[in-house]
Amino acid sequence: MPWAKAEDFRDLTQRFEGLVLEEKPSITALHVQKAKLLELLRVLKQEKGYKLFLDHSVVDFPDKDPRFQAFYVLYNVDERKRVVVKTWTEGSLPSVEGLWFAGKWAERECYDMFGIRYEGHENLVRAFMWETYQHYPLRKDFPLEGYPTEYLPSLNEVVWGESLQGLMNYDRMHTSVPTLEDLEITERKRLQKKAQIVLNWGPLHPGTHGTMWFLFDLEGERVYQCDVILGQLHRGVEKLAEHEMYNQFLVYTDRMDYLSALCSNQAWVVAVERLLGIEELVPEKAKYIRTMMAELQRINSHLLWLGTYALDLGAITVFLYAFKEREKLMDIIEGITGARLTISYTRIGGVRMDLPEGALEVIKAFVKRFPKELAEWESMLSRNRIWLRRNVGVGVISKEEVYFYGLTGPVARGSGVPYDLRKFEPYDAYGWVDFDVPVGENGDVYDRYLVRLEEMRQSLRIVEQCVSALERMPKSAPFFAESPDPKKLKLSLDGIGLKVPEGETYSSGENPRGELGFYIYSTGGVKPYRVKIRPGSMYNLCVYPKLMKDRVVADAVAILASLDPVVGEIDR
Amino acid sequence: MEGVVFWLILTLVKILVILAIVLGIGAYLTLLERKVAAHIQRRPGPMVVGWHGLLQPLADGLKLITKEDLFPRYGNRFLYNLALVMALVPAALVFAVVPFGPEFELFDVKVKPMLTDVNVGLLLVFAFGSMAVFAIALAGWASNSKYALIGSMRKAGIVVSYEVVITFAVMGPIILAGTLSTYEIVQKQIQQELWYVWLQPLAFVVYMFAMLAETGRVPFDVQEAEAELVTGFTVEYGGMKFGLFPLVEWYIEVLSLSAIAVVLFLGGWSPINIPFLGFVDPLFFLGPFSPFLWFVLKVSLLFLFVLWLHWTLPRYRIDQITETAWKVMLPITLVNIVLTAVFAPLVWE
Repeated sequence: MPWAKAEDFRDLTQRFEGLVLEEKPSITALHVQKAKLLELLRVLKQEKGYKLFLDHSVVDFPDKDPRFQAFYVLYNVDERKRVVVKTWTEGSLPSVEGLWFAGKWAERECYDMFGIRYEGHENLVRAFMWETYQHYPLRKDFPLEGYPTEYLPSLNEVVWGESLQGLMNYDRMHTSVPTLEDLEITERKRLQKKAQIVLNWGPLHPGTHGTMWFLFDLEGERVYQCDVILGQLHRGVEKLAEHEMYNQFLVYTDRMDYLSALCSNQAWVVAVERLLGIEELVPEKAKYIRTMMAELQRINSHLLWLGTYALDLGAITVFLYAFKEREKLMDIIEGITGARLTISYTRIGGVRMDLPEGALEVIKAFVKRFPKELAEWESMLSRNRIWLRRNVGVGVISKEEVYFYGLTGPVARGSGVPYDLRKFEPYDAYGWVDFDVPVGENGDVYDRYLVRLEEMRQSLRIVEQCVSALERMPKSAPFFAESPDPKKLKLSLDGIGLKVPEGETYSSGENPRGELGFYIYSTGGVKPYRVKIRPGSMYNLCVYPKLMKDRVVADAVAILASLDPVVGEIDR
Repeated sequence: MEGVVFWLILTLVKILVILAIVLGIGAYLTLLERKVAAHIQRRPGPMVVGWHGLLQPLADGLKLITKEDLFPRYGNRFLYNLALVMALVPAALVFAVVPFGPEFELFDVKVKPMLTDVNVGLLLVFAFGSMAVFAIALAGWASNSKYALIGSMRKAGIVVSYEVVITFAVMGPIILAGTLSTYEIVQKQIQQELWYVWLQPLAFVVYMFAMLAETGRVPFDVQEAEAELVTGFTVEYGGMKFGLFPLVEWYIEVLSLSAIAVVLFLGGWSPINIPFLGFVDPLFFLGPFSPFLWFVLKVSLLFLFVLWLHWTLPRYRIDQITETAWKVMLPITLVNIVLTAVFAPLVWE
């Protein structure tokens, strides 16, 4: 099991007065007073080996006093154990920025969404919303439809003085949106100009892989300092999760990391299954199908990464080669699930439908053909002198930095940290298949490139094993779990009426872009009370300003593409 | 008097013919490039307009011309437009000294198939080449955009470094030929029965690299690196004004520099050379047209080589490019000059 045992922390109860140990199948938590929080986290990091920072946020209980329950999720990579630290607060917390830089970004998000003040935070600015925004959207008293206060005249009215009559004249009331002045205030607040020019790189720029807004303070071409402004794609997915049923929320996971929808689906479904305690009930066939599809999606996602990465470094042809293969994968996925991008194929308890006839043959043909293509691209890039000069020694991340910045996924593995959840806490069929976890040595851009290429090969191996396992299964094998007691636990394909008992869990899946974690807090009923999503992309991105220091603009694309963020997941 | 009028008319005709060929071919090379790129990338390329997309350049031109002419706020309109002229004119002027073939007689008049055979032809070529940097610097400056500015500064840095390299690279052939006139250089190669590429392989390689750098072709296309700078110094141009820059840089300049490379290293219009022994002409049956065809063939081969690189390689970083120029290529060319000076007397005999 991935969770630490309560005995591990017995010795701490003497040192920390009021420390309560809580051990459940779905979570192990340490409850501590706010005053002792920082000290406990330091001890956990330095003495107990919980070096990797995973996530932090709060849960809002408007009726309770103190109102907010804060949680910190930490991971011990060497012993493969996870623990949650919890504390109660009325509205302020000590900042953990000295211990983990990743905490800084998590705290900014928490400040933005809940209005928690962090003492000692160096740069407490809003993470997603703009500076002049008044409200804290994730608090329970924030209405789902927002505050309809701003009146937005249309361009026709402003420019031509048109006043529309009749049906055309509807009252344009909206939730407040940032104006240009708001954005300028935000921009000024983020970066103290220290060098020649401030270059606005993004939000709409081909090199940023999405609507991200970077500020580069440039001295010539050298980046003196760099900052990131997020939130252009913020949709409040976590707020939506609180108002949707568990199965309904599945479609929002598609739209977070839209390049690896199947992996996100799988992570969410597994999280809910773990919370329900029905992981064992899911039929073998469903598990194999999910694993196989997730690995196909991983190849798909890495192909897009490879293509755009090569494109960023000027190799346009590789982009088209990669997209050609990706198109085939998309067709396979479309044939099996019926959708190409936003898939929602998995269900709590299984998958939506059985594999169609001939699906396995098509996948086998792809698996047979794909390594040849991969080898061809490698011969174009991997030993190419220009490619090496652009990649080797650029954007080096050390092992310690992986923990400090909370990096996961291929970025962590590129630096030699073998943190792969498929191995560390196998979900679905990952425990039954055989594969290797590639790790890098130097932690530079080139290592991350090699790691991702090798991951595609390993994914192929997994797919191959899943295919042969599925071929052995009879056609009539079930693909959806059967509830042992339909009165207590109602499992169905549409998921309506699925009641989740009181409880909480943190569960995560290995996405192509890092760990996608879900912290689910349920107070019973059909909807979760609070869902905190740990976006791998966001924490991977938080190392970017550090890597960009003293690099030139041309390295910006190489480093950013090697971190491979997807904005849909960062902003949620 | 009559002689002067005749000479004027002849020159005018030459100008028109060369301009028409250069600009027309320049436009059609876009189609060629797209087709070559498409086949490298395993796709058919433009197929809709005309047979195999043969009318595509016309459609593109029509589209570009009819586009709205946007101008950036707070830009300098005079410099903005001047940059276009500064880009197009020097690049086209290089063709004034390119010899397309040997002298021939037409109606008892000796005609050299080049605009003017000045005795400092090569000097002109490189003087015009360095003018390109003004166009780019002006375009970047007048656009009032940070991206354009960074792109133009990158390009200016490259052009300045590679002008030095390319000048030293062509010193070898100049020493061997003992003249700066492009026509004479080809004549010398025919007389000495030697393409200079056989004796100057280093200079040829360096020249090709410098040519890629000057024209902003991959792997040196940092000035318009799409991923970083969108399109670099052309980012604020629109319509045909935008179309002109790639036309000039990627096609006309590549063509002119390839033509100069053919003149300097590959014996101009002469057929296949066996060093010091003579020439073999598999195209002898074309009679007087064979030299012209050889010239065209060689230039197109070089152009295709450039395309091949463009659609295969990634790009360098700006500091790596200038570093290569100053630390690797310049020393190589200097060594090459010394070596050439040593064995040049042998060739002259």
